[in-house]
Amino acid sequence: MNILICIKQVPDMESKFKINGEGTWYDRADLAWRMNEYDEYAVEQAVRLKEQVKDADLTVLCIGPDQVTETMKKALAMGCDRGVHIADADSAKREPVEIAAMIAGFAKEKNFDMIFTGMQSQDRGSAQVGVMVAELLGIPAVTTIVDFVYDNGAIQVKRELEGGSKAVVTATTPVLLTCQLGLNTPRYPTLPNIMKAKKKELLTMAPDTGGTGSRQEIASCSFPEKKGGGLVLEGDVAELADKLIQLLKEKTTVLA
Amino acid sequence: MEFTREIYWNVGHGWTTLAPMYGLLLVALAVFDLGMYKRLKVYRLGHPLDRTDQRGERFRFLVDNVLLQAKVLRVPGAGSAHALFFWSFFVLVIGTSLIVIQADFTDLFFGIKFLKGTFYKLFSLTLDLAGLVAILMLGGLMVRRYLIRPEGLVTKGDDALMHGLLLAILITGFLIEGARMAVTEMGTPLAPWSPVGWGIAALLTAMDEASLRTLHAGLWWVHLLLALGFIAVIPFSKFRHIVTTSANYFFADRGPTGKLTTVNLEDENTEKFGANQVTDLSWKDIFDADACTLCKRCQDRCPASLTGKPLSPMQVVNQIGEVAFADPATNLIDTVGREAIWACTTCRACQDICPASIEHVGKIVEMRRNLVLMEGEFPGEEVMTAMEQTEVNGNPLGMGYASRGDWAEPLGVKPLADDPEVDVLYFVGCYASFDKRNIAVATSFIKLCQAAGIKVGILGKEEKCCGEPMRKMGNEYLYQTLAMEMVEVIKGYGVKQIVTTCPHCFNTLAKDYRDFDFDVEVVPHAVFLDRLTAAGKLPIKAEPFTCTYHDSCYLGRHNDIYDVPRKLVRAAGGHITEMAKNRDQAFCCSAGGGRIMAEEKLGERINIKRVQMAVATGTGQLLANCPFCLTMFEDGVKGADVEEQLRPRDIAEVLAERLASTNA
Amino acid sequence: MKTILVAEFREGKLRAEYSQLIAFAQQQQAEAVMFLVGNPSELPKFNGPLYLADAGRFGEYNPAVHKQLLLDVIAKEQPAQIVFLHSSYGWDLAPRIAVALKAAQVSEVVAVDNGLPVVPACNAKLRRIIKPTTPQSVLTIQAGAFGLDDEPSGTPNVIAVETETVGTVQCTGYEAAKIEGVDLTKAEVIVSAGRGVGKPENVAMVQALAKALGGEYGASRPVVDAGWVDHNRQVGTTGSTVTPKLYVACGISGAIQHLAGMKKSDFIVAINTDKDAPIGEVANVLVVADLKQFLPVLTEKLNAR
Repeated sequence: MNILICIKQVPDMESKFKINGEGTWYDRADLAWRMNEYDEYAVEQAVRLKEQVKDADLTVLCIGPDQVTETMKKALAMGCDRGVHIADADSAKREPVEIAAMIAGFAKEKNFDMIFTGMQSQDRGSAQVGVMVAELLGIPAVTTIVDFVYDNGAIQVKRELEGGSKAVVTATTPVLLTCQLGLNTPRYPTLPNIMKAKKKELLTMAPDTGGTGSRQEIASCSFPEKKGGGLVLEGDVAELADKLIQLLKEKTTVLA
Repeated sequence: MEFTREIYWNVGHGWTTLAPMYGLLLVALAVFDLGMYKRLKVYRLGHPLDRTDQRGERFRFLVDNVLLQAKVLRVPGAGSAHALFFWSFFVLVIGTSLIVIQADFTDLFFGIKFLKGTFYKLFSLTLDLAGLVAILMLGGLMVRRYLIRPEGLVTKGDDALMHGLLLAILITGFLIEGARMAVTEMGTPLAPWSPVGWGIAALLTAMDEASLRTLHAGLWWVHLLLALGFIAVIPFSKFRHIVTTSANYFFADRGPTGKLTTVNLEDENTEKFGANQVTDLSWKDIFDADACTLCKRCQDRCPASLTGKPLSPMQVVNQIGEVAFADPATNLIDTVGREAIWACTTCRACQDICPASIEHVGKIVEMRRNLVLMEGEFPGEEVMTAMEQTEVNGNPLGMGYASRGDWAEPLGVKPLADDPEVDVLYFVGCYASFDKRNIAVATSFIKLCQAAGIKVGILGKEEKCCGEPMRKMGNEYLYQTLAMEMVEVIKGYGVKQIVTTCPHCFNTLAKDYRDFDFDVEVVPHAVFLDRLTAAGKLPIKAEPFTCTYHDSCYLGRHNDIYDVPRKLVRAAGGHITEMAKNRDQAFCCSAGGGRIMAEEKLGERINIKRVQMAVATGTGQLLANCPFCLTMFEDGVKGADVEEQLRPRDIAEVLAERLASTNA
Repeated sequence: MKTILVAEFREGKLRAEYSQLIAFAQQQQAEAVMFLVGNPSELPKFNGPLYLADAGRFGEYNPAVHKQLLLDVIAKEQPAQIVFLHSSYGWDLAPRIAVALKAAQVSEVVAVDNGLPVVPACNAKLRRIIKPTTPQSVLTIQAGAFGLDDEPSGTPNVIAVETETVGTVQCTGYEAAKIEGVDLTKAEVIVSAGRGVGKPENVAMVQALAKALGGEYGASRPVVDAGWVDHNRQVGTTGSTVTPKLYVACGISGAIQHLAGMKKSDFIVAINTDKDAPIGEVANVLVVADLKQFLPVLTEKLNAR
């Protein structure tokens, strides 16, 4: 079975974000980088599938500057067989469909039976790339999976829906699946596998969007006004309660 | 008259006595050798480890602990009884040997007799009394074991054999003496020099001489057989400890205390890390099991054991032995149990008190290493998360690394990257960098340094976790990654001295980092502040207060720093009321061994237990010297509902409060 | 500006969130057309054309088929915007439409600024304003970001649609949310008790507030240590690390282990008598009050809504 896993390197969300010079995105300085959390579930599921069917080849693909190979090494240490690095220093400027086009361009003639991606990235959070890859390749996609069972060619997944219920969905290969948190428990790479990962094939490719052009521009990037702004409320309890309820209505969606 | 006695009286000194006697001795020694050789083969299942360096030191340590029973005597009661028994039995063995030497060697070949005159009188009296003491101590120990039986004291057939055999040897010895004296010494001035024998002889005088002689000869052979049986049975019984425990003093870990073995991660041929079989451990780890006497001192002090967790250091050591001798291929981790392996706080209470110099902590860490490095297993998901956070942000809390030095900005303390000209580098640690409660401690420490005119620098965002909790949790790979990075960064600044407020950082930088060619002086803040006080640089105005003081495991047992912090407390005007468990017996706060990252799911909470001990002092204040302890105690006072009764603080905070300038 | 609003239907029910789509359209003063694969007997309250496909025939989740149905409507209506909810249905279908139309897609729109969609990034630490440069654009709007002041009303003008397309992906059923056990990491609202609640009986006040907010209750380590609340409800690095939409910390001073376990929550309310407690540093709102007085009042007011 030929499997592709698409991962992204993202800043740790605890990082101190600063806006870049162009005012379009975060500045890359002083950030700690890691594998997009959703993608860890994708890698894990692919590795588990390989452990189940034995005969499988896992290719992990990542787009970005050279430093993303650090993150790719983790995926290789978790159990992917080979890496494909699309070296694109400008990946942060690419919009989702361009990223999807690069992936689809790579995957087009490789006949992957299954493609795993994260449901979204932690930094951009568009939840578009996975589905777009499938559409560009003309294969079905199932999003937001929290459960995956493969049995002799038949795939049964559960999609996470709002409110905690799940939809049971069946599909057949080829298929693209976007992984939601909680799908599994991503493993901690073992030391022998970390060592082996250092020797695994890591192919570098030039970025190619296959002519897919820009469809949107970033008008601005800024820090949102602080939700409560560290607001301190004091006074009579009944008034406090009213004020708080008002704030919750304005600033959150939980009372909607 | 010449004070002496006829050796081999009644049994004769001819070949009919000597041939069977020495023949049997040879048999006994052969059985002993064979038994020990078989065990030696099992010890050799472990991989090599050099424990024969520093021979002078090792030998001195052996003498201290075998002849002087130093470690045994640390626990009064059973320990004292053991020491007295040992000494008296030792005297009996020496005495018996002297008899044999004279009769079958010096007298036989050279006609020299030294067991005579005043020396013989004293010899007689000493041996007689030694026998009495031995019987009394053995009796006392038997009452303890069979009648009182302290909780957790494992008693097997082995113990009965040991007690029975020793008792039989001692009693037959006295009966032989009594029978002999009844025939030969009654009414002579020599008799009172063997008071016990004399008493027994008095009881036997009712018998006629022929019966006494028959009794004597019979018992003599029984006594001989028992004594030779004792020798032969050593390798096959708990008597083994006479050899193995003694040898273990020689083979003991010579330190640095608490430094773990560094795994060679560069070796590409290594396919297995840590231990899940006895063959992955060192020979010493298997030998330790044979040196263990099941005295349960470790178990009595283990914070995990005492709070209902499935860990007994004693059991772990013995399980290793059982597996090694039964089936070395057995999975050790399954045998010991994961919950036991993860429960250890590496507080070293077990190892510190062990009268047999057994190394418990290293074994547990080796098993953890196997779980983490080979299986990617942790005690819980929260620990795995902490590991991943450390990989990304350099701290187990997952705080953004770039803000690590933010706390110091208002104090005017700069990262070395901005200003490398400093007197000391303060290695802040994760908690004092990010946790508001511990930032208060760091701030106090900085204020003290500033008052003393010391210019302090930090690494700021270049600092990462020292790797201690990860290492103790078994993640040697992450530890080494962090350690190598820290060593490179610190060395790059040419720092001469480092101060820590975290004893875990201290121990790691000062000992574990030595394996990475790191030799910068590292000083814990208590010692550093004490030096400043002694040099008259710290303008502290003492104000009286009462408190109790908690010895953190990594300053106390790991580094023997007990007096300096107490001196500092007194310098601040403090009067310390000690807790029930203090100094080398101090009870862990629960956060060591990487447990700071883990949820305590089993048994009672260790920190609450410790906080309750502090409350019992009635002093209202619990002084600590470690951010992990402080964190656990802050939680503990809430969990135990004693927030109003006990205030946990760091020594630095108390001192900073008493800075003369701030009081003025 | 013509806008197609894509309403949702699941487990035999029209999803009420369609009102948020209407609110969005109203705010844009857009000419709204609605699309729904649903049940003809349960229509959204909406004044305007409703292109309706029968879910009984085309399935509740059948991406290839729904995509074709919608593309047919788009071809007919030629809208400038196609608006979905940013939901399991919306984020699944929207990119398919965007690819087919070669249109810009903007996800999780939380507001509109001078006619341009505003989206959050990096856990809402950043916000970006996106300018689509294609004639048509596909938007998904964040749940709860747009709301109607009143209940929706009206009757749609139903236009039935259908397609011959068949999909390979089949939704075979649903699995209800599990109720046994608690998984705080999945909770959208968490109300946590700290030592400030005083005594075990007062945990009930925290539970009541959690219920009123439709969430779960949790606790800090000392409260769990004291045995007042079960282990699996412990929030913090040694318990669960949580990221709810709303986190209410009641009487929690904020030990680092607790803070590290909850500070990623979208909105944090701290209720504490101590204004200087560390929890204040991560809280969006700090209510300085005595829990025993404040919690019952707040709960009552919430329940009365």
